[in-house]
Amino acid sequence: MSGRRYGSARRRPVRKGPKRFTISMQKRLVVLFLLVLVSFGMLAIRLILIQRDNGRSYTMQVLSQQAYDNKSLPYKRGRITDAKGTVLADSKLVYNVIIDARQILEDETYLEPSLNAAERLGVNKEELRTYITEHPGSQYYIARKNLPYQERRAFDQEVSEGIAAEEAAQKKAEEDAEKAGKDKSEAVQVEKVYSNIKGIWFEDNYIRTYPCGTLAADVIGFSSAGNRGSFGLEEYYNDTLNGVKGRTYGYLDESLSMEQTTIQPTDGNNLVLTLDANIQSICEKYLKEFNDSFKNKKHKGNGTNNAACIIMDVNTGAILAMASEPGFDLNDPYNIAAVSGMPKLDEKDEATTNYLTDAEAAALTDQEKTRYLNALWTNYCISRHFEPGSTAKPFTTALGLETGKLKLSDKFLCEGQLLVGDTWIKCAHLEGCGELDVAGAIERSCNVSLMQEAEKIGPEIFCKYQNVFNFGLRTNVDLAGETRTDGYLYKPEDMSETDLATNSFGQNFEVTMIQMAAGFCSLINGGNYYQPHIVDRITSAGGSTVQTNEPRILKKTVSEETSNMIKDFCIQAVEGEHATGTAARPAGYRIGGKTGTAETLPRDNGQYVVSFLGFAPADDPQICIYVVLDRINNKKQDEAVRACEVAKNILTEVLPYMNIYMTEPVTDAERGELEKLGLYDTNDRSKAEESQDETQE
Amino acid sequence: MARDRRSTNRFKMAERQGYDYSLIFIVLFLLAFGLVLLFSTSSYLGAVEHGGDSAYFLKRQLLFTGLGLALMAVITIIPYRFWRFACIPAFLAAIGLIILIIPYGNEVNGAKRWLVFHGVSIQPSEAAKVAIIILTAFIIEMIGRRRLQTLWGFLLPMVPAAIIAVMLLRITNNLSSALIILAIAFGMLFVACPDYKRFIALAVLAVAGTAGVVTYIVRMADSNPLGFRGGRILVWLDPQAYAGDTGFQTLQALYAIGSGGMFGKGLGQSMQKIMVPEAQNDMIFSIICEELGLFGALAIMLLYILLIWRFILVAGNAEDLYGALAVTGVVTHISVQTILNIAVVTNTIPNTGVTLPFISYGGSSLFFLLTEIGIVMSVARTSSRAEAKQNRIMYYRQTFPENAE
Repeated sequence: MSGRRYGSARRRPVRKGPKRFTISMQKRLVVLFLLVLVSFGMLAIRLILIQRDNGRSYTMQVLSQQAYDNKSLPYKRGRITDAKGTVLADSKLVYNVIIDARQILEDETYLEPSLNAAERLGVNKEELRTYITEHPGSQYYIARKNLPYQERRAFDQEVSEGIAAEEAAQKKAEEDAEKAGKDKSEAVQVEKVYSNIKGIWFEDNYIRTYPCGTLAADVIGFSSAGNRGSFGLEEYYNDTLNGVKGRTYGYLDESLSMEQTTIQPTDGNNLVLTLDANIQSICEKYLKEFNDSFKNKKHKGNGTNNAACIIMDVNTGAILAMASEPGFDLNDPYNIAAVSGMPKLDEKDEATTNYLTDAEAAALTDQEKTRYLNALWTNYCISRHFEPGSTAKPFTTALGLETGKLKLSDKFLCEGQLLVGDTWIKCAHLEGCGELDVAGAIERSCNVSLMQEAEKIGPEIFCKYQNVFNFGLRTNVDLAGETRTDGYLYKPEDMSETDLATNSFGQNFEVTMIQMAAGFCSLINGGNYYQPHIVDRITSAGGSTVQTNEPRILKKTVSEETSNMIKDFCIQAVEGEHATGTAARPAGYRIGGKTGTAETLPRDNGQYVVSFLGFAPADDPQICIYVVLDRINNKKQDEAVRACEVAKNILTEVLPYMNIYMTEPVTDAERGELEKLGLYDTNDRSKAEESQDETQE
Repeated sequence: MARDRRSTNRFKMAERQGYDYSLIFIVLFLLAFGLVLLFSTSSYLGAVEHGGDSAYFLKRQLLFTGLGLALMAVITIIPYRFWRFACIPAFLAAIGLIILIIPYGNEVNGAKRWLVFHGVSIQPSEAAKVAIIILTAFIIEMIGRRRLQTLWGFLLPMVPAAIIAVMLLRITNNLSSALIILAIAFGMLFVACPDYKRFIALAVLAVAGTAGVVTYIVRMADSNPLGFRGGRILVWLDPQAYAGDTGFQTLQALYAIGSGGMFGKGLGQSMQKIMVPEAQNDMIFSIICEELGLFGALAIMLLYILLIWRFILVAGNAEDLYGALAVTGVVTHISVQTILNIAVVTNTIPNTGVTLPFISYGGSSLFFLLTEIGIVMSVARTSSRAEAKQNRIMYYRQTFPENAE
């Protein structure tokens, strides 16, 4: 080849054939490239700006969306059972019906079957349809709460059976098609109803139920949504009863698939009480009976402002029953009808002498409702204080004997009233009790004698021993809402002669029922002050015991000797010739006890708190009973015998129930009454057992 | 002397031996990179929707890539001038495919855009893009430089693109593809037509028109005169307000971008791939930002710029006008599509379905993109052969100056 040939090709003036891509075109191509470059640059700036301005908030957003997938699993709040295993409070598994609208809308054939299924679960179909159309992206909508377990099970069963039937039918149709020589896919599509139910699922939830309703309502308290206990055990043991929430959450594992991890919830611990539902219900029965019999008697309203009873084990401080009327239904604590008949409250929430009618109860404002319901829910036995009256006399006597200020041989003269300082203070027996010894003073409940005793004791020792008996201090019983009473007691330096005198017979200082009962137990059992308690043990959800509340002696109040003397005085106060507590003796038993009639403030208003504080059986005290009737709905309120009668009725049933056999002969009339209650004379049986023991020995 | 001037003004290539290896390398790199990211983004969806097969999308995309590369190789060998003759049948075939959508179209996500033949679905709009590139190049070459400056000469090259655009809009309701096709033809025209004024005027007009439409829609936000497109503009202006439904995708993509930080959460560590709809498809760039951070995103963008620069070199070195214009068409296609995709993901423009070239999941898109690359390579191969010839002449002259005139 020669250079010339190439040269001639180069010289060719106009090139034929394909047209050229000219230089100006090339320049314009570069312009195009620059435009692209500018666009890319702007997008890069945009990226940087997004990062700079929103990086933090978007990162948070991403993380929060991850959290969206997390779900907390509810725990079961612990059960409360009585000493015999009766369930008083339990948490029941129910379900929330959750709707996933996005899943339902995935295919139009899903909509109707799913809506129908939801309707079957008690969801309003049309409302749900509206919701789904308005929120097509919603994946979590609680359509119904608290679906019972049985309903869910029935639903699950129906759906799974339905799906199985449809699948079987479809398979059969396909087999038929294959037999007919056709392809599987050409088989007739069986109508799908159950298989097309989508986007409905269930979420566990627990609701608190109280199988015994009103039983021991004040003691148990109730728990509201979110497992927060209010009042009583539910509040005091809130943390014990509550468990730890579980959690399921999704995360991406190494192979980038969404994994789900579940941390199971830990259920709460259970409470086993010392309280016995049977004893409790006996107490409540008679308190209610009493309340009903005096209902609307003098004025419209309840039979008493409060009628309450505590039964404790004298030798352990365990509370066997703690009842107060009026009560309420734990399953419906907010029912305002229950406050009707209660005394109206003044600004300080103190009871007045006016009473709420049904109409007034219904017309209460929300704020007032809260006040009245709070008054109703409050446990009278631990949260209200009152002047105990003559039931304090055994305490005064005991501290006198214990400190040696009193001797059994001391004699006191009662002439119906006594001048203390410059005030004449009356005895309950205006005609005068005559000359009495220490025992007689208690038997007759003579105020004048007790005032003289207190004078001998002196304010220093008196006040010190009030503290020994735990008056003015909390007993720290394991119930929420125990009130303080330290402001209602005298200090020795502030105590006038009159104060000391009135204190001696239980006026002018205030106590709670639990203080009186716990203190009295120590007087009876040889001087051991047990801490009153109501929870016997705490068990785990699995049933093993986590903690046991052993009886705990807090202090020695009096000596064994003093205790025995007081016991005898109290027996005499029930059995003696001039005894005030005769009416409290149940047929077939010997008991001891002391009545109380306390004037309320302001004095001479005709309003009284009457009570009976006793123990049974007399020879071997097992239980202490304290009945308080706060302002009976009667013209004459100062009749302690009412409290005695209630105590007698309760003891008549409780003692046989506790397998304490009769020791005293039963009259025919008493036998008749016992038989009406389905009880019988256990004297023979105890003798028979005794003889049996002897023969065995 | 014209030829001498031309060769010195050209964007000079270093030694090239028939094939543009830099171009091949960039394309292969993008493809490989795309496969890795596709696996990362689609593994969750694959596992959920395809019976636990987290590699479902990856396997399919691998198949498309393999077939596409084979097709590219074949097209590289075919002299590109062949397309001058094939362009009209190709155009007619594209039109035919679009028309076939009317009776046989397969509806996905509420839009009829796919044709399914024996389980293989193709998107006619992607085929139309290739057809428009080779046809418009042919028309411009026929019309010639001088006649392009007349009104009719200027409008004629736009006619096929306009036909396809209208058809795509009417039949498949696919605005983004229509716009890309118009942009391809327009870009080629811009390069070929020796006049800036009319383009500047048109650009000003387009900007003004867009601003007008946006203002109108914002004013009429309540009555929503433009249907879902109007709605998309409203979402674009305030995605937070529509976070629950129409703004969900945009917002989730923004969250992904924002949460990536400088270097990202690491490959495979995206949390948003579960949240962002179409994460393996139109929205893959947001997951790139999340996993590889700003650094990774900018690196990818740089890679596209390199690719486009290679194209421009090929166009500049093209043997003839037809080849150069065809490459210009491909440049326009890939850059417009990339820019639109990133702009959508970053909510710089209203949401519209555009895939990210070479990286997004999708067989049709990949197939026809690789066809286009094949055409570009064919142009490069031919021009490099001419270049080699030229080089030999130069060498001869330098070695034997006595023979030169």
